[in-house]
Amino acid sequence: MKARLARGLKGSVMPEGNDSARLLDPRHPSAPRPEGMRRYPEAEAVDMLVVGCGAGGATLAQRLARRGWRVVVLEAGPFWDPDRDWVSDEAGSRNLYWTEPRVIGGNDPVELGKNNSGRGVGGSMVHFAGFAPRFHPSDFEVRSRDGVAADWPISYEELRPPYERIEHELPVAGEHWPWGDPHGYPHSPHPVGGGALRMIEGAERCGIEMRVGPVAIANGSFGNRPHCIYRGLCLQGCKVGAKGSPLVTHVPDALAHGIEIRAECMATRVEVDETGRAVGVTYFHEGEEHFQAAAAVAVAGYSIETPRLLLHSTSSRFPNGLANGNDLVGRGVMVQGAPQVAGRFPEELRMYKAPPPEICSEQFYETDEERGFARGFSIQTVGPLPIGWAEHVLADGHWGQALREYMRDYNHWYVIGALNELLPRAENRVTLAEETDSNGMPVARMDYSQCDNDRANIAFGKERMREVVRAAGAQDVLEIDRYAHLVGGCPMSETPESGVVDSDQRVWEVPNLFVADGSVMPTQGSANPALTIMALASRLAERLALKRSGEPAARRPRRLRRGSRPAPTGVDAG
Amino acid sequence: MSGDPGHLPNLGGTEPGGPPARLPRQRCGTTPQMRGRYPDYDVLAETSHWDEPTRRVVLDRVERVPPIRFFDEAEAATLGAFCDVVLAQDSEPRVPVLAMVDEKLFDRRGEGYRHSDMPSDQDTWREVARMLDAAAAKAGAESFAAAEREAQLRIVGRFAEGELPWEGCPVDKAWGVAMRDVLSAFYSHPWAWNEIGFGGPAYPRGYARLGPGQREHWESPPEFDLDPVRDISERGLE
Repeated sequence: MKARLARGLKGSVMPEGNDSARLLDPRHPSAPRPEGMRRYPEAEAVDMLVVGCGAGGATLAQRLARRGWRVVVLEAGPFWDPDRDWVSDEAGSRNLYWTEPRVIGGNDPVELGKNNSGRGVGGSMVHFAGFAPRFHPSDFEVRSRDGVAADWPISYEELRPPYERIEHELPVAGEHWPWGDPHGYPHSPHPVGGGALRMIEGAERCGIEMRVGPVAIANGSFGNRPHCIYRGLCLQGCKVGAKGSPLVTHVPDALAHGIEIRAECMATRVEVDETGRAVGVTYFHEGEEHFQAAAAVAVAGYSIETPRLLLHSTSSRFPNGLANGNDLVGRGVMVQGAPQVAGRFPEELRMYKAPPPEICSEQFYETDEERGFARGFSIQTVGPLPIGWAEHVLADGHWGQALREYMRDYNHWYVIGALNELLPRAENRVTLAEETDSNGMPVARMDYSQCDNDRANIAFGKERMREVVRAAGAQDVLEIDRYAHLVGGCPMSETPESGVVDSDQRVWEVPNLFVADGSVMPTQGSANPALTIMALASRLAERLALKRSGEPAARRPRRLRRGSRPAPTGVDAG
Repeated sequence: MSGDPGHLPNLGGTEPGGPPARLPRQRCGTTPQMRGRYPDYDVLAETSHWDEPTRRVVLDRVERVPPIRFFDEAEAATLGAFCDVVLAQDSEPRVPVLAMVDEKLFDRRGEGYRHSDMPSDQDTWREVARMLDAAAAKAGAESFAAAEREAQLRIVGRFAEGELPWEGCPVDKAWGVAMRDVLSAFYSHPWAWNEIGFGGPAYPRGYARLGPGQREHWESPPEFDLDPVRDISERGLE
């Protein structure tokens, strides 16, 4: 108590159980250095092998490492050195995205790449805008309340403690939050730019309440992480180190507690033995095939790559892929509708300044039967840079001289966007395409089509945004339809027949295989998913630790050949 | 000043009679076609405030124009004309958009997705060239590049509306693929930033003046005094 009070008096309260912000080198605060990282032999079964070092994988690894688990994380992309690898430039940031081939289909195909897919240590949060809202309690019981989609096998109450913990670790800055489960934030709200001020006024005139935040950007220095400099390039990777991503929030502490991150290692198969237990993961590094043995495996490759890996992990016991006995892997993959409405104002607003995530309203989050559709949406600020703004202008139908003129007018515009909760549908699915990547692994195909409820939700959200922008005094309005975020594809469920993983994110069919990313979400709410993915991974680590018998496994090395069975270390939750 | 939006296309300005009259000539640095809203602003005067990797990436776009290696000569002529039309680059200096697109295709830099009913981005671009030339031939021209400006505008207009006949794959998606690359090239170029008054890279300096109408000391005010009523009548658009 006294210690907590003393920390409080000194300014930023540092989180308990995570020293990442203090472990960063103050001269290079935007990422830890992997020199001196512990290494594990491939043949020795580690306690947990994690695939993917993003929001889910890095959080899980940090929590388990703190409890003495021997953890290796395989990451397909690089271990970033932001000083050298990242640029303060829109087009120059393409390396942050998953730009490997993928195929998209369906009636309403979802563009991938820079829009929603990360690659490298830190995952998609390296280039996420920074909005970090919680889900609402209603999100966990959508089927019971609204008769659509599915209920989660866990309740909001189970995520509240990890939500609070992660909010202190990122840390999240924002006003007191009146929606969902009302709560405050550890850091006070950031100043907002001229455009956001306009939108707050416009929303007020429409009876819509806006709040500043919640963003995963420290307001003030935080450990060795410096203050935000409001340069507006949050989506291009934070060279400053002010915006939270696992690279600065969990990886430093995880490294200090003995995890190994193997970057540029592309997992291609989760291997199982004849009894159906996972024994490790086959992966490619610089064209060479490797195998890492493990007592347990957690896949955290997100909603496209996790289903792809499971579907590709076929064996005589699992001929249709791991965890796919009910033909559910990859199904129910979701994106949020993310239409944007831009308004033109007499004065210069220069929307490239300040972080794009500034203000938000969740007033339309819950179902309102009068609207004629189930569930709802949130409204947030967007702040596109020139290329993003050009795509917006093009989508409104302008090219040639008209496009150039709208572009010359860039500094007079401001943009808000909706996040519409689109419903999970079984036919929206990640499958394997015929095309293969450079390792010979089939690439992912994602098919996506909207339903009537989705279209009604998006149309209603756009109408409200047009009202806000007009009420703010806009002289001209442009619109674009797009999508944001990815979740679902390996939903958690109450029964083995209705999902891929149980309420502890353990694959129903494989006792020592877990899914630790956003693909386990049965529904997506109208909230940006990063905070919830981290909170779920944090909860998963607690559950694993609780269920594990005794202390970490014996340190003696085991000789293992590929496909051989490791000695059980009691990780399975069964 | 520029508070009046009458120059905007939705409100009756600009199209199709070229850029608004009275748009100032650039007095400082370079803009595409040397017109712009910020005649005394040159983002390249700020490079000493950028971090080195960023400075390299941005300056390379100006100083190191790649040769055409992916497209053949005829394709390059057709697609160069296409880039000029969709970006209204009607005179020098031009941002070398086709060279930037060519390099991307040559290096096989992907975007992370391909529509299931579309060929690769490389093949899509070649198809676009063929389709434009076929449309120009129908209009009696030797090629798209050789067609009259009016004919080029008509053909691109039909392309944008998804009305050009194209066997085998959806023309609207081809428009999307091509324009994504074109816009990404053009608006990554610092000359285009000068034209629109974009602050450009801002690390490690950052921004301090975020409010409405506020500028950093090194940002420059717009200069654009247009009476839309007079402009429209002067250009005979009524």
